[in-house]
Amino acid sequence: MKIRKVNWTQFMSFPAILLYSIFFVYPLLKGIGMSLTDWDGMGTANFVGLSNFERFFQDKRAIGDIRTTLIFAAGSAVFLNLVGLGYALLMERPFHGRSAARVIIYLPAIISPLIMGYIWYFLLQPGRGFLYHAAEQLGTTFFLGKWMNDYPTTMTVLVFVNVWQYAGMTMIIYLAGLKNISTDILEAAIVDGAGSWQRFTRVTLPLLMPAIRINVVTNIIGSLSVFDVIMSLTEGGPGYATESLSIYIMRMCYGSRTGYSTAVAMILFFIILIPVLISLYLTKEKSDA
Amino acid sequence: MKRLFALLVVMALALTAVSAFAETKVNFFTGKIETIDLLNGIIDEFNAQNPGIVVEQEYQNDASNIIKVKFASDEVPDVMTTYEQEFVDQGKYMDISDVNEWWDRLIPSMRDSCTDLKTGKQYRICTNMTMAGFFYNKEIFAELGLTPATTWDEFVKNLEVIKEKKPDVVPWFIFGKEAWHLGHLIEFIPHGYLKQTLGALGCKTAMLNNESDKLNLGAADGCMAVFAQNMLDLQAKGLINEDVLTATGDNCTEAFVTGKAAMFSNGMWALSGILEANPEMADKLGFAPYPAYMPDSQPVVLCAEDSGYSISATTENVDAAKAFLTFLFSAENQKKYSESLGSPSAFKDVEAAWAPEGFAKEVSNVLNSAVNIGFTNEKPAGFSGDDAGRMVQDLLAGTYDAKGFAEAYEKAWNEGF
Amino acid sequence: MMRQENTTFRTFRVMTVILICLMCIIPFYILLVLSLNSPSRIYYEGNIFIPSFDWNNYITAWEKSRIGLAMINSGIITFGTLGLTIVLGGMAGYAIARHNTAYNKIVFSILIGCMMIPGIINTVPLYTLMRRIKAVNTLWGMILVCSALAMPSAVFIYTTFIRALPRELDEAAEVDGCTGFHAFWRIIFPILKPATASFVILNGFGVWNNYAQAVFFLQSRDKQNIPQALSVFFQQFGGAKWHLMASTAVIAIIPVIIIFLIFQRQFIEGLTEGAVKG
Repeated sequence: MKIRKVNWTQFMSFPAILLYSIFFVYPLLKGIGMSLTDWDGMGTANFVGLSNFERFFQDKRAIGDIRTTLIFAAGSAVFLNLVGLGYALLMERPFHGRSAARVIIYLPAIISPLIMGYIWYFLLQPGRGFLYHAAEQLGTTFFLGKWMNDYPTTMTVLVFVNVWQYAGMTMIIYLAGLKNISTDILEAAIVDGAGSWQRFTRVTLPLLMPAIRINVVTNIIGSLSVFDVIMSLTEGGPGYATESLSIYIMRMCYGSRTGYSTAVAMILFFIILIPVLISLYLTKEKSDA
Repeated sequence: MKRLFALLVVMALALTAVSAFAETKVNFFTGKIETIDLLNGIIDEFNAQNPGIVVEQEYQNDASNIIKVKFASDEVPDVMTTYEQEFVDQGKYMDISDVNEWWDRLIPSMRDSCTDLKTGKQYRICTNMTMAGFFYNKEIFAELGLTPATTWDEFVKNLEVIKEKKPDVVPWFIFGKEAWHLGHLIEFIPHGYLKQTLGALGCKTAMLNNESDKLNLGAADGCMAVFAQNMLDLQAKGLINEDVLTATGDNCTEAFVTGKAAMFSNGMWALSGILEANPEMADKLGFAPYPAYMPDSQPVVLCAEDSGYSISATTENVDAAKAFLTFLFSAENQKKYSESLGSPSAFKDVEAAWAPEGFAKEVSNVLNSAVNIGFTNEKPAGFSGDDAGRMVQDLLAGTYDAKGFAEAYEKAWNEGF
Repeated sequence: MMRQENTTFRTFRVMTVILICLMCIIPFYILLVLSLNSPSRIYYEGNIFIPSFDWNNYITAWEKSRIGLAMINSGIITFGTLGLTIVLGGMAGYAIARHNTAYNKIVFSILIGCMMIPGIINTVPLYTLMRRIKAVNTLWGMILVCSALAMPSAVFIYTTFIRALPRELDEAAEVDGCTGFHAFWRIIFPILKPATASFVILNGFGVWNNYAQAVFFLQSRDKQNIPQALSVFFQQFGGAKWHLMASTAVIAIIPVIIIFLIFQRQFIEGLTEGAVKG
């Protein structure tokens, strides 16, 4: 008779979760408790129940921030994936200078965010930026003169800049995914008489599902917690017009409303959770091959 | 076992011996980048002269936020340049009222600026003064026959003349992308009015206790509404730069040093940047107060404490910390400091050439003729200067009319408490 | 046969790539121009595309920012963090992908769930913890914090990639006499190179450029990393010495580009050929 041994490999996830629990989950749990208090960052915290959450939904600025965050994320998550996939398909076949091209596409993502903000503003500042002056030489300034005065244009520019900066990252994941698709299968599809569009939708896309899953989830989380790009171009302004929830949380946290900022962070968590769960569900079956 | 025990005892003894001879460490926490190199020099000198004490400077770009985390987790530097009313209230700073060797040398009005209103004691000492007002281009003013304004009507007239005679020059450049700059306008103009009408002390008390009948922030004819209306009028007449909401401080410097902007509001900290961008500005630089803009007001100029130092209430190295500050405050070191920072010393015995001579003279004339006001340290904790600045952005973006602005400001102010 | 492409399409493709590259190089080009401008230069007078070639900026930047030391520190932190997360994250990814037990489901949910919580709210408790274990101002402390931050991403990427691998691979390994852990290390891990490369590229530069954690956990000047070295050029009221900051940033980016080139040769370029067939 064979004695069933416990399969220890299933516990190979233990070291990772141990490290994570100590340096993230434990401080987080201590921090989350603050969402039910009026803690100002120092001094004593008084229990205030759910009133932080009530206050959030009565704050017009906070509601505006939700709108900005959602609009930004909808644009940015979709276009990061489309553009990143497009880049990856362009880069998949070998050509001269392909390695250099990949590095270059990734370049905007590796410049330190501390100075990247300045560079973006230097490029795009309404009426003064590099692109404005370059466009002026061509005889027209397009929308570059005043784009920050108008909400839809501002949001478009913010999404555009985010895609510009981070599409290289998305591309890398898609490239890694494409590597896992063998040419045999594609050639078999050609033998079967599939056109290039059919090959793409019937063969490439389903096999690319793991990469799609990683990119969609990462980009949803990244876009909904957007901070850097908005901070560098508009600082959430004018006033609070283009402020994102992450910026709001940061400002509240350092503005002596630490307890409240924790409550808002919890709300942001649920805002992110819903689309992430949906996309995990939608990409699930195929990736569980 | 015995051996192990003996070893442990020896190790423990050795540790005690080492720690007895160990140096006293003084952590000096600062957010002031401008003087970091100079201070490192002074610190090295001090450390060399005082064996047994080691002062270490920690610079943080985001010092005012980081100090909060440090306080919250009980890791407090011995000496720090960050100072906030809420820390005073919580007893985080040591009372230094009795260190007479420092106070005896300080200009009395500066001691007043350093005094905590609630207790009447001093928890910090400031070694320098900074001023803020309008920097203007003397050449342009002379060419158009203008003199700096003392009333708002004169001020507007000046701007109108500049716009008419020199259409390519921005009469008043405001760099409203940077919220702190607009926050400062609030601080110097409407808050400045409150400070001069209520008196420095009266205003502090009124703000601290939020006496809304005295502050009268939300009234339709109050200081906030009139200020807002004035700004809207200037904007409508094109007397400020069109891109007020997106212009940066760098844009302002650039426009000013190339003669494309006639004036802007800022503090002495802007001086070095202007002179670096164009050294020839030294002779063209003028300084003027904020004009009187209410029926019962006078021109004001900011004359505030700068470079403050506090000692932690819980430090174990009181003597070492004091010794270091005494060394730093020596007339010789303060002369160097004042000249490197570009702001006059608050010590009576320090003679420093902190700015080009002509300009320094002009500043001192303004200080003598206009009402001197200080910074507001009594603002509500949840309503920062940057928050106020972002409200001005909203005003200039057309979100509010003047009355609406004043009401919203009062509301935000009250909620901040 | 399928490699053949018609000429118009090929030209179109090459043109697009060139255009994209141009766009992506603009920010970097601006950085270069800024880094070579003298402080008094007024940007839009004269030719905006050509800087004033003030090479002294690089010397001043090197001396004032102590970027050399900062690069070593950032390098150690990045290397340590990536090493730790790749090993632990890879192991966890394997366990989660291959053993769909309740325990592993919980682990996965915690990791992915916490990815969505803004880190700022645990600042104070984490700082207190780090002080208690004497990890403030140490590189190992910073490595642990950064590893924790990067862990969800590592586990997520590895889990997803491993799930896409056929189980026959594990079985083949077992036939060869490798079990469990060995099967993972000898057989699975080596063919996860695209996943590892993706993870390194997605997270490596974030660690290299980490500022949010560094300001708290690397306070002493000897332990400062690259963004802190850059931040020396910020001034209190707005503005900054942008020309010096730009030269420092250019210096700091050179090793990144070199490493990137090596990584992509080693990992992305065809190393997986033949190993995995979807």
